[in-house]
Amino acid sequence: MERKIGETLLGVEHISLSFGGVKALTDISFNIREKEVFAIIGPNGAGKTSMLNVINGFYHPQQGEIHFKGLHRKQMRPHEAAVQGIARTFQNVALFKGMSTLNNIMAGRNLKMKTNLFWQALYYGPARTEEMINREYVEDIIDFLEIQSIRRTPVGKLPYGLQKRVELGRALAMAPELLLLDEPMAGMNIEEKQDMCRFIIDINEQYGTTIVLIEHDMGVVMDLSERLIVLDYGRKIAEGTPDEIRGNQVVIDAYLGVAHTN
Amino acid sequence: MFYREAGQFKTTYISDQELFPVKQDRWGILLIIGFSFIVIPLIANDYWLQAILIPFLIFSLAALGLNILTGYAGQLSLGTGGFMAVGAYSCYKLVTIFPETNVILLILVSGFFSAGIGLIFGIPSLKIKGFYLAVATLAAQFFFEWLFGRVKWFYNYNDSGAIEVPVRKFFDIAVTGPIATAQTRYVVVLCIVTFLALIAVNIVRGRIGRAWMAIRDMDIAAELIGIRPLTTKLIAFAISSYYAGVAGALFVFAYLGSAEVEVFDINISFEILFMIIIGGLGSISGAFLGAAFIVLIPILITNLPRMLGMPINAATVEHFNFMILGALIVLFLIFEPHGLAKIWTIMREKLRVWPFPY
Ligand SMILES: Nc1ncnc2c1ncn2[C@@H]1O[C@H](COP(=O)(O)OP(=O)(O)OP(=O)(O)O)[C@@H](O)[C@H]1O
Ligand SMILES: [Mg+2]
Repeated sequence: MERKIGETLLGVEHISLSFGGVKALTDISFNIREKEVFAIIGPNGAGKTSMLNVINGFYHPQQGEIHFKGLHRKQMRPHEAAVQGIARTFQNVALFKGMSTLNNIMAGRNLKMKTNLFWQALYYGPARTEEMINREYVEDIIDFLEIQSIRRTPVGKLPYGLQKRVELGRALAMAPELLLLDEPMAGMNIEEKQDMCRFIIDINEQYGTTIVLIEHDMGVVMDLSERLIVLDYGRKIAEGTPDEIRGNQVVIDAYLGVAHTN
Repeated sequence: MFYREAGQFKTTYISDQELFPVKQDRWGILLIIGFSFIVIPLIANDYWLQAILIPFLIFSLAALGLNILTGYAGQLSLGTGGFMAVGAYSCYKLVTIFPETNVILLILVSGFFSAGIGLIFGIPSLKIKGFYLAVATLAAQFFFEWLFGRVKWFYNYNDSGAIEVPVRKFFDIAVTGPIATAQTRYVVVLCIVTFLALIAVNIVRGRIGRAWMAIRDMDIAAELIGIRPLTTKLIAFAISSYYAGVAGALFVFAYLGSAEVEVFDINISFEILFMIIIGGLGSISGAFLGAAFIVLIPILITNLPRMLGMPINAATVEHFNFMILGALIVLFLIFEPHGLAKIWTIMREKLRVWPFPY
């Protein structure tokens, strides 16, 4: 691969998160470097989604710190995460159901659009220019994801696989530096999975976007990611390259459900 | 066969983003606007103007405002009557305090007062949603009904307790007051409503409109793509209330001529909500269709039996009106939540491929 992995983009330090008595995450630390594809795996309920929610400011951990692009923070709002360049997709598709594919992806350009209410009301001058520039950006994404034919379809009417694709498009429209993908291939058939894999590789290579991927399909994880961590019961039980993880006895035990000793 | 996109290829995104991408639609709208501005004032009699067209336009404007808030931004409001009252009473105060100022300008300015009030009543929307928000907006409804009924300053201490619209002229033509003709008032209302409707169309198809719909459909995801929930909702409240306020001012100044605060009671709030449910939530044309429908039903119920030679009395008309409306609302909510506007779109799609649907 000609892509070169750079400095640390996102650092997670000693994050602990609990809901009432339930400990979702316990003392998690790891680093994600620029331009890498980083996977988070683990059995159901391990805390993978919670980890993403912490990274993009949706959950506020009781302990620990996050730094992104050198900026340290204890807490932030999802909106601020978006401004800083973090985008994501959801485990259960979270699209704007009443809007068309085009409008969903255009909505992802929201932060890049600045014209005020006055010009918006006239739909003229700067507002029109801005709309056109962003529309072109969005059309490139639509071409890239090969969803031209559903441009005008309300997304609520699309099959699940396509909805996942539109959701990826919306995240891409934000031109993020860090893209969080929560099980982007869940519930897809083989062909759809292959397409999605291709998109993820292309996004990473063409746009140089750093990607964090949660995925249950180990084959996919091994193919796509450079490094990964394994979570189990909210703890990090392993970290390494796919090859290192494959032979790790602790991980094998976690997946086979061997009784916990701690 | 003539309603086609064939041959009308869009070569740029700008032309694809035109208001009415199909040429026939564009002509249709121009035709309607031209007809309303030129033909109607020439041929319509006072009854048509005063009893049907003027109230229809004013209700359309109010429904448009509510549709921005409820249909596009997803925030249910039952305070429309209250916001309309704010517009009407601030217009009355402005017109009596500044007698020399153009009344049309003052009508447009009075909308800003209700926009400000709408902004304040929109603040709870950050924390509360749906039914509970509706109850909070109901507070606006009752508060302003009480305020304008009690505080005499708002109606200039008139013995009648009503606001009486004074005569105001524009280039020597009486625009408001008892001597203003129905023709004049109709044209004034039509100008304002057309202007504000075009602005609404522009806003909803741009960045702000998408932000509203995003908040409506999935507020969490909207926030994660950088849309600020509170700002977005407050803009919707302000703009929506602006429309309601101007509609309220017109309701008194261009339609009723004099009014007590009771005309803005809870019934009008519900009536306007019904308009957008029947016309279509989240659609500009839906506001007009719904308003037309609700203004016309009682007139039809009154006139149809009379034309058939069996007149019915006013009380019966009212009962029928409620029954029919109630039934329709239930039917629309169950079968076509997007209302008449959606039915029209479906018909248009059919027409586009007719007579060869495959
Ligand atoms: N908002 C919440 N309130 C209460 N508990 C929560 C919340 N979110 C997550 N949890 C709990 O935190 C734990 C981790 O959940 P999480 O969704 O992060 O797991 P996951 O690894 O994504 O699982 P899956 O593979 O099933 O998606 C679970 O026990 C879950 O019940
Ligand atoms: Mg999960």
